[in-house]
Amino acid sequence: MNDNDTVLSVKELQVAFRTRSGEVQGVRNVTFDLKKGEALAIVGESGSGKSVTAQSIMRLIPSPPGMVKGGTIQFNGQNILKKSEKEMEAIRGKEMGMIFQDPMTSLNPTMTIGRQITEVLIKHQNMDKKQARLRAIEMLRLVGLPSPDQRFSQYPHEFSGGMRQRAMIAIALACDPTLLIADEPTTALDVTIQAQILELMKDLQERLGTSIILITHDLGIVADMCDRVIVMYAGKVVEEGTKDEIFKNPKHPYTRGLLRSLPRLDQPKDEPLIPIDGTPPNMANPPIGCAFCDRCDFAMKICTEVDSKMITHSETHASRCWLHHSSYREE
Amino acid sequence: MKVKLTFLLAAVVAMVAVLSACGSDGGSGGDQTFRMNLTAEPPTLDPALIQDQVSSTVMTGLFEGLTRNEKGETVAGMAEKWDISDDGKKYTFHIRKDAKWSNGDPVTAHDFEYSWKRTLDPVMSPPAPYAYQLYYIKNAEKYNTPDSGVKVEEVGVKALDDSRLEVELENPTPYFLNLTSFYTYFPVHKSVKENPKWAAEASSFVSNGPFKLESWQHNDSIDLVPSENYYLKDEIKLQKVHFVMIEDPNTEANMYETGEIDWSGLPTGNIPTEQLAKFLADKNPELSAPATASTYYYVVNNTKKPFNNVKVRKALAMSIDRKALVEKVVKGGQTPAYAYVPPGIRGTDKDFREEVDGNLFKEDAVEAKKLLAEGLAEEGMTAMPVFEVSFNEGLHKQVAEAIADMWNKNLGITVKTQTVEWKVFLQNRTSLAYDIARSGWGADYNDGMTFLDMWLTGGGNNDVGFKNAEFDKLIKEASTTSDQKTRVDAMAKAEKILIQDNMAIIPLYYYTSPHLVKPHVKGIEMDYKGDIDYTRAYMEE
Amino acid sequence: MIRFLLRKTVNIVLSLFVLATATFFLMKAIPGDPFMQEKNVPDVVRQNLIKFYGFDKPMWEQYLVYLNNLIHLDLGMSMRQQYQSVSDIIARSFTYSLQLGLVAIVVSIIVGIAVGLIAALYHRKLIDKLAMLFATLGIAVPNFVLGTIIQYYFANKFRFFDVAGLNDPSDFVLPTIALSVLPIAFIARLTRSTMLEVLSADYIRTAKAKGIGSLTILIRHALRNGLLPVVSYVGPMTANIITGSVVVESIFGIAGLGKFFTMSVSNRDYTLIMGITLFYAAILMFARFLTDIAYALIDPRIKMMKKGGGGHAAG
Repeated sequence: MNDNDTVLSVKELQVAFRTRSGEVQGVRNVTFDLKKGEALAIVGESGSGKSVTAQSIMRLIPSPPGMVKGGTIQFNGQNILKKSEKEMEAIRGKEMGMIFQDPMTSLNPTMTIGRQITEVLIKHQNMDKKQARLRAIEMLRLVGLPSPDQRFSQYPHEFSGGMRQRAMIAIALACDPTLLIADEPTTALDVTIQAQILELMKDLQERLGTSIILITHDLGIVADMCDRVIVMYAGKVVEEGTKDEIFKNPKHPYTRGLLRSLPRLDQPKDEPLIPIDGTPPNMANPPIGCAFCDRCDFAMKICTEVDSKMITHSETHASRCWLHHSSYREE
Repeated sequence: MKVKLTFLLAAVVAMVAVLSACGSDGGSGGDQTFRMNLTAEPPTLDPALIQDQVSSTVMTGLFEGLTRNEKGETVAGMAEKWDISDDGKKYTFHIRKDAKWSNGDPVTAHDFEYSWKRTLDPVMSPPAPYAYQLYYIKNAEKYNTPDSGVKVEEVGVKALDDSRLEVELENPTPYFLNLTSFYTYFPVHKSVKENPKWAAEASSFVSNGPFKLESWQHNDSIDLVPSENYYLKDEIKLQKVHFVMIEDPNTEANMYETGEIDWSGLPTGNIPTEQLAKFLADKNPELSAPATASTYYYVVNNTKKPFNNVKVRKALAMSIDRKALVEKVVKGGQTPAYAYVPPGIRGTDKDFREEVDGNLFKEDAVEAKKLLAEGLAEEGMTAMPVFEVSFNEGLHKQVAEAIADMWNKNLGITVKTQTVEWKVFLQNRTSLAYDIARSGWGADYNDGMTFLDMWLTGGGNNDVGFKNAEFDKLIKEASTTSDQKTRVDAMAKAEKILIQDNMAIIPLYYYTSPHLVKPHVKGIEMDYKGDIDYTRAYMEE
Repeated sequence: MIRFLLRKTVNIVLSLFVLATATFFLMKAIPGDPFMQEKNVPDVVRQNLIKFYGFDKPMWEQYLVYLNNLIHLDLGMSMRQQYQSVSDIIARSFTYSLQLGLVAIVVSIIVGIAVGLIAALYHRKLIDKLAMLFATLGIAVPNFVLGTIIQYYFANKFRFFDVAGLNDPSDFVLPTIALSVLPIAFIARLTRSTMLEVLSADYIRTAKAKGIGSLTILIRHALRNGLLPVVSYVGPMTANIITGSVVVESIFGIAGLGKFFTMSVSNRDYTLIMGITLFYAAILMFARFLTDIAYALIDPRIKMMKKGGGGHAAG
């Protein structure tokens, strides 16, 4: 649906990597939309293709060895995949911002935090040093750092983990971008700090109206923050829906398995956890049919031969599984 | 990015090209400048302290003694004439009136008295290493010995007035006139008293020779220019002598080829051995290798078994093929030696070697083997122990290995060779802590004594422990007589005892002084001992 | 900061003292003395010389005299080069060596970093392979072999340059090449591997995600972090260049200190040996000291200077 408030539209994106042992399919046919002000979570395990998808939106995948084999990415009415590198530079940091998993290694250790913020402001908004400094301090305050003018001249190693992530957020949001991509932003942090950072992100989102893509393998975070969820497995979207739909009514066996494997506070101590048996497939040689079928309790013959299309359950809810196909309904 | 870097690279290449264009004038004659390599910085230019050939080469241009060497003859220098007493022990030198220092002061007899006494001063600062060259003078040695009680006034050199210098000798020394042309006998200007460092800088340097010291860039170069005050200044045609100090023989060779120097090789330079062999084989016209009065020999530790046995020593001497050594190893056109005093040394009327038979022994491998067996038996040994030939760094290694090989083939003995660091080597040799070692000796003055008196019992340079009463007696005779023929006979006999009877040392060959000189350079003299006199040289246009 | 400097200075002085002592006794322990020559001097003269230089005194007394002079910064007179003070000889000769050395250091750093950078940026392409081949050769080929070859061809055969001396700017070209090839090779390899590491670091990705241009990323983000190992190589590089200069100065007839380095030992010129050893040691220590400072300046993680706040604060 073409809404004026669709900020990002990814259609049938295919990304592969050329390696010594052949071509590895990272992203196979991923499609989703993001509206203005919306918070979308992309959930999946390692190797599901979620980070590659996110980085492809910013064209951060180095090529070689990566290459986009097909699909389109539309952002704010612009065709991202057709942009030159110089044009992308103008977009990154200005209209799109990204924060990464490990703030210690993602920040330049020999540059002050302040400088790392003003750098973006000077480049994209043509500010002079003074203006940039003021704005940077404002950002630091915005992300909840005490004594921001002192913090401005400090180095990353003088910050704690949570503070660094706040600083990263400040950098990413300095130019008030339309889209913020957060790639596992809390994975490297303590649980208590995690909550704070998520709080901050939610708060900022409300205040600034930024659209957010949150990439994570942790469903707990999703519940807190996001409006919609996309579940990825083996490079494909296997289910998408609103938060409620996914948590209350998961359709795809993989999603169900994920939810079931979450430990619960009200579980008795000695009750065993329920993992999903098996391991993800080798993406150098992806299976022809559904990639999940050899781990799936409900696998059918057709699953091994052909992969299903996305089957809609509601306006917002769809999943990719033969179980829900009208001809194959068992219930 | 790529463009920027390519540009940078191009800029670098361009810069190098420009720099190379402004360099390299190649340098060459056409002007009257003689360029030569000293190889090292002269340790000193003070005649009193001189000890080495680099310093003496520079001094040749800067100073002049009472006498000079010209075309092999001792001629008048600062002294225009002299009287010698009948007993040969008193000389009176008449200093020429027009002799002047480079600063215009006249050269007087007082200068000579002052200078020689200064050299003999035991507490000169530092003491003069070559002071012993002056020991021919009466009381000189005693004065030089501290606490001997001999006062400076007792030394046998006195200026009778400004122009007359009276010298009294310990013994009649027929070659004394030749000695007065030697570096240690050069005069120094009185002003050195005030400035002990006068000889270290060009600005304070005063000399009396054909050239004066224009500049001394330490460790880099020395420039001499003609002295307007030299009494024979019309004979001096060069406008400048430029010395460089290039350590590396290959660099020297390159500089000779590009014309940056006009002379390569001895006395102060070096021609790389392989190149020398090629030049000799090609009969390169720029190469000469005149014989010099120096001998290359092996010293044998006469105090150590079995080398204490004369038959063993003879065996070793007789089983070396000297011709092969000179032609295949040393390759400098040298002459095999079967005696010790080299050609070039004066005899009575002619060359010592022409008057005295130089074949004091013959090479004979068969006889040598026999002698070796006999000698070993006399020492109560059945076989020759493995021994070591030691030497310092340089070509000596190849020589030793060749000889060790010959001994192995001809005598069936095993010999080790060992390179020893220079000073350690000297120490070992002097203290008789060796088996066989390499040695060389050059003439200081033109008389057989310069080679023979070193072998006196207990002599400071007697590195073999040679003790022979008859030899000592003959040497004493030669040093106290003034009749040249008697002296030559005595020296001939002494040499015979040393080599033919005792083979105290093993002579190998007489040196040559190979050097390359550009064809436009004329008038350079090399004397019998291989020293170079460039003072009367000139560049042909 | 002051404390740091003070600490380093004390360190250097102590090290020099230990070095002076060790060198003094080692030197006296080697057989041979300055006075021995091919033609021995008579005992009388020898005794005069020994007395003059105080070698007849007991060893510990000689040592104390020497130490005393050292404290007064008097390095004495050379025993072989008459009337030339050790400090004069060192100062004079070092002027040449310093000129050549500095040029070589600057060239090495610039060219080395440039080559390493290019190799890292064009990683796995032909340029990278060529650069690394050159680097390997540079490390393998001894500088005297290289020096002799370039001298023969470029000074003799092609007459582009003078064979020897440091008399005009063009004379610097050949010796600098001979002297810097090894450090260039080292620096190039070091720069390349560090830069490859840095370029694949997370913060470079962040910078890219900020839309910063690749040249700016290289210069502003990558270089500063990538050059740290190069800075720490400056110490050993100075040592390399100093020792390399002994041979290169000999080949190109440069009146530098390198010649005296070995010659003084050969001649047993004790005062000069001591002077040169201490001098070189001081230079090396100074180079390390500069490296330490540079390192601390570049990398703020090194707590040498405490600026404002500092330390950590709670999350």
